[in-house]
Amino acid sequence: MITPGDVFVILVTSGSVLLIAWFFSRYLLAVFSNKRTRLDRVFGPVETVIYRIAGVNPYEEMGWKSYLKALLYLNAFEAIIAFLILMFQGSLPLNPMHFPDVSWSLSFNTALSFSSNTNLQHYNGGSTLSYLSQMASIQFLQFTSAATGLCVAVAVFRGIIGKTRGLGNFYVDYTRSIVRVLIPLSGIAALILVFLSVPQSLNGYAILHTLQAGASEVVKVGPIASLDAIMQLGTNGGGYFGTNAANPLANPNQVTNLFLLGLMMLLPTSVLFLFGRMAGSMKEGRTLIIASYSLYFIDIAIALIPVTQIAAGMEVRFGSASSVIWTVTSTSFTTGSMNGNLSAYDPLVILAAMFGMIIQATPGGIGVGAMYMLMYVIMAVFIVGLMAGRTPEYLGTKINASDVRLAVIAFLSHPIIILVPTVIAFAIGAQRAAGLGTGPIGFTEVFYEFTSAAANNGSDFLGSSGNTVFFNVSTGIVMWLGRFVPIAIMLAIAGNMVQRKRYASEALRTDSLTFTAVLIVAIFILAVLTFFPFLTLGPILSYLEGFKNGF
Amino acid sequence: MKRSGTITVPLRIALISLAICGLLFPGVVTGIAQLAMPVQANGSLISFHNTTIGSPLIAQEFNYSGFFQPRNDSASGLDPDITVQNASQQAMRIHNVTGISIAYLDGIIKEYTRYSLFFFGTTYVNVLYLNIKLADQFPSIYDKYVV
Repeated sequence: MITPGDVFVILVTSGSVLLIAWFFSRYLLAVFSNKRTRLDRVFGPVETVIYRIAGVNPYEEMGWKSYLKALLYLNAFEAIIAFLILMFQGSLPLNPMHFPDVSWSLSFNTALSFSSNTNLQHYNGGSTLSYLSQMASIQFLQFTSAATGLCVAVAVFRGIIGKTRGLGNFYVDYTRSIVRVLIPLSGIAALILVFLSVPQSLNGYAILHTLQAGASEVVKVGPIASLDAIMQLGTNGGGYFGTNAANPLANPNQVTNLFLLGLMMLLPTSVLFLFGRMAGSMKEGRTLIIASYSLYFIDIAIALIPVTQIAAGMEVRFGSASSVIWTVTSTSFTTGSMNGNLSAYDPLVILAAMFGMIIQATPGGIGVGAMYMLMYVIMAVFIVGLMAGRTPEYLGTKINASDVRLAVIAFLSHPIIILVPTVIAFAIGAQRAAGLGTGPIGFTEVFYEFTSAAANNGSDFLGSSGNTVFFNVSTGIVMWLGRFVPIAIMLAIAGNMVQRKRYASEALRTDSLTFTAVLIVAIFILAVLTFFPFLTLGPILSYLEGFKNGF
Repeated sequence: MKRSGTITVPLRIALISLAICGLLFPGVVTGIAQLAMPVQANGSLISFHNTTIGSPLIAQEFNYSGFFQPRNDSASGLDPDITVQNASQQAMRIHNVTGISIAYLDGIIKEYTRYSLFFFGTTYVNVLYLNIKLADQFPSIYDKYVV
């Protein structure tokens, strides 16, 4: 049931995010179209130094293959660096709590998880990772994967819009994402979070006598605020602690809760507005915004059907409404941070969470959400073209057979990398090592794990019980495939479209509300029907069983 | 561009990113936070009679039945708050154990009540604040139980 509290949370967060994102997208346009701005005096010299040290020629224009190659090499090196820091943290500095090295399979999983913007965590950060690992593995990859997401979005936009010769220069896009967008925003956000009581310290955990004599407690302070900021802004979602944004040190009150909620929505929303600005038509951007936000609101409505109350597994200071809204938002924007324990929620909330991760564009993760939305646009334009008996066109150019074929492959890669490993896990009984049964609840947990991994979301039921070699290696591979296969395919489509001839006439008005409605329906049918049998075995069955038992 | 650039350029960019995002950024934020907001930056620790006794942000153990007790089932396991309803139920037990009047207990619950949505939503209280208040106001009862 929707209460005034729910409406308040939804209106305040969505309203302010949409407003700020509209303005912020103007800044993003200047950043990625290399326009001169007043901030050049601050950022320009930093970038020049980086290009010089790294040997980057910032004027080189890249085709899709060079753009993709640079992106993959960079992400691979970054994952390797993070992997090594985790593996050898015991002998490295900034480890006042003397945590031992992380096992190879957990380091492998964690490095692939954070470099793919997933942030699935099979460990409990507060009792496993040194300060150096939290900073130089975790926060490091949270920045770089968010920057990679922004690069992918602008490169795909450039290709589909077709006003440039190539897709841009990956190193320039990446450097500007870090220097002009992510570092300044995260810096401001981190200091606001400290002001609101999130700790930021390298002094080691504080061990104190409690008020009642005879007991002691450990206050796990660390570089938490800086991690909180980029984990939300970059739609990463991997928290400092295993309990993520439910932990009172990472999310101490309702103000930080709503602030963090808004932070995770800001950049994916801004990027959708950026599309309209780059295309020179805010109405084309409006199509994407309305489609993704409608699906997001439908999702929230489904999750709020069950009567919500503070359950075991939710934090009192947030109340039940904002716990449920957080969960839906966190999966819709594929962030994956949690402010409650997933097993505390009604199966309908889990179902809503899975919709977000299946569609991946409601509005989805930073950069890639917009990319998936364009994948759906290409398929929707094709479907409408078939029905109207016309050649499909988008932004004044023809969508040809190979574009549609590639878009369909990108779309189908998602169910394949979720459903195949889910079936394998049960076929070899791997779920038993993680302490799971074979009923609908055990099934939901494993299915959710791979959905979350493939969608680069990172929320999960398993947590540190997923720290088995099978789940570490299998989800590690799924996360990288789920990240880079669709990116490669969408860059290929963009690369093929960038130099294609543009016409003045438009057969189909993709900036109309009619098309927007068709797009929403197409997304819903394509994505949900693909997964329907599996959803039935998991959360839907749980819900119906609960219904039969009168909850 | 030279061929060797395909390996060395991304490797160097990766190392520069490590320096900027993984070391410099958290380091600078820590420096500013420690200088400008040391209380929050170190976990908002509070004292009782000049002894630091913890942070109101996280729950601590109270097993003496004359204290308010935190819930032990929540998501983080550290939830420092209880609902007002739960606090009022505990007030009866505390009254029976300590003899402190229900009216007084209800009064301090009211004093520390917060709303989960600023002015509506669930009402809750912080357990540590309540217990510090009790220990401070009734030393004859609580002195033998506190640090």
